[in-house]
Amino acid sequence: MPRLASLKDTVLRLLQYRTSFAGLLIVLGIAVLAVGAPVFAARGFAETDPVNRLLPPSARYLFGTDVLGRDLFSRIVYGARIALWVGLLVTFIEAGIGVILGIMSGYYGGIVDKLISAATDMVWAFPPVVLALAVVTMIGPGLTQVVIAIALTSWPAFTRISRAKVQSLVNREFVLAARAIGESDSNIMGRYLLPNLVPSILVVSTLTLPAAILYTTALSFLGFGAQPPTPDWGAILADGAAQLRVAPWIATIPGVFIVITALGFNLLGDGLRDILDPKLRI
Amino acid sequence: MATPLLAVEELRTYFYLSGGVVKAVDGVSFVVNEDEVFCLVGETGCGKSVTSLSIMRLIFHPGKIEGGRLVYRGKDLLAIPEDEMRKIRGKEIAMIFQNPMRSLNPVFTIGDQIAEAPLTHFDLSNRDAWNRAIEFVSKVKMPDPEMRAKSYPHVLSGGMRQRSMIAMMISCEPSLLIADEPTTSVDVTIQAQIMDLLLEIKKRRKMSMMLITHNFGLVGEMGDRAAVMYCGKVVEIGSVREIFREPLHPYTQGLLKCLPVGFERKRELEVIPGTLPSPVNPPQGCRFCPRCSLAMMGCKLQEPPLVAQGKDRLVACHLYGG
Repeated sequence: MPRLASLKDTVLRLLQYRTSFAGLLIVLGIAVLAVGAPVFAARGFAETDPVNRLLPPSARYLFGTDVLGRDLFSRIVYGARIALWVGLLVTFIEAGIGVILGIMSGYYGGIVDKLISAATDMVWAFPPVVLALAVVTMIGPGLTQVVIAIALTSWPAFTRISRAKVQSLVNREFVLAARAIGESDSNIMGRYLLPNLVPSILVVSTLTLPAAILYTTALSFLGFGAQPPTPDWGAILADGAAQLRVAPWIATIPGVFIVITALGFNLLGDGLRDILDPKLRI
Repeated sequence: MATPLLAVEELRTYFYLSGGVVKAVDGVSFVVNEDEVFCLVGETGCGKSVTSLSIMRLIFHPGKIEGGRLVYRGKDLLAIPEDEMRKIRGKEIAMIFQNPMRSLNPVFTIGDQIAEAPLTHFDLSNRDAWNRAIEFVSKVKMPDPEMRAKSYPHVLSGGMRQRSMIAMMISCEPSLLIADEPTTSVDVTIQAQIMDLLLEIKKRRKMSMMLITHNFGLVGEMGDRAAVMYCGKVVEIGSVREIFREPLHPYTQGLLKCLPVGFERKRELEVIPGTLPSPVNPPQGCRFCPRCSLAMMGCKLQEPPLVAQGKDRLVACHLYGG
């Protein structure tokens, strides 16, 4: 079976790229928070405590409490789950749609390419937030709706990049050689072309993933995404906005987390292409 | 004694470009016998590669195989459906390409790539396919096969890559191996090694080989029989010995005169005057006529058919009463 670079190899090489490594640490940190949320969180994310409202950060309440006395740290930690889950899910759907269409477009060319490219251009022109608003207006607010809306409008990035890459590969002789040993079209696309796209796909993912997180938090901030008491960072930020003068930390902390997470993914993506290129590996 | 393995009959492959129809292969016929090295010789652009790709049915838009028959073991390859053809590619007929640098997938180890064809054609587990790959890596005489199989193409030299390519193509033990200028991109010493290797494999497996080249030296060294192509047509077919001893067609004669002989320095190499005619608009009558020193009145008017001239010898020229 064809196998890509071993994981150990990739991680070792990652160490040599400082910014990417910093990005990786941030991403891993957020992931650990998300996975271990029940362990880290001192209290439930929806547990209210009216006596201890709007407390500033302290040893007991690391990030303070909000207007209902909920522990902000617990909410942020659970929020990491939502942010990552949404980011991964959206990226996964986008990559699925985008890469399949892109490979087909580049591989078959002709009318298939024209149709797919036209569809891509049309969707590309559509702002995700506007579609999300339309979906939410039709079937009510919620994270799922937002995820679907963002995924359905953002896949063209993957289509473009895979199409371009496949076009440059499809005339290489190894594709002809694959045909000459009797491979089928679907096998050539899936087993010869797709693995060549993996580095590009991962790099694009590190851009779409934070974008997806930003879009969802933005929509949650506006009240169209996660509904209370779901501790989405955008929703927490929105709550905090009302208390900005009395308790500025409520809005600041989720904001910082959003920025750091997005930054982490972007930094990681920076060196990822170099790291995954088999040509730079012996 | 000679049983035909593949008979190419009146093969025509055209390319439909905006500038007109390029008749890259225009009525080519020849036979490749079992257990022989058949050479297809000609200048660049004469349709050699297109002929071989047509045999594999690997002609894509804007090209099209317009007619003819490809009879392989009694079966017309042009008449069978695509998925049946896929079972023939690699397993029955395999093809080595010119450029080993570009013929290997950069993201997989060569072992994986060699294992791919057996995986496709035989019911093998991944482990068995991998072992088979290692076996073939050693068969093409690469040192330390187990380690080499784990190398990526970019760490290998040109010769090694071409060996990998050969291993990839013979890994299903095909009956016919088409080698399309297998040594144009490697240097002369490697060229000799690769050719020896191919001949050895050919002998051991009793497979037929179709060697496509513009190098008459290779033809003389390796070939049993040869066909000379000019501008999409076969002009002469015969045993290599006969062709070298007594070339019949003026084009073949011209080509052989272009070859340097030994260390003779004084003699200037001859050239065939003129250039290859446009394949979109080939000359009337005999296509070689405008460049032919022996052209006669009739040459411009009528295309000479391929006629038998002695035993197992065919030539398309009006000089020979065609």
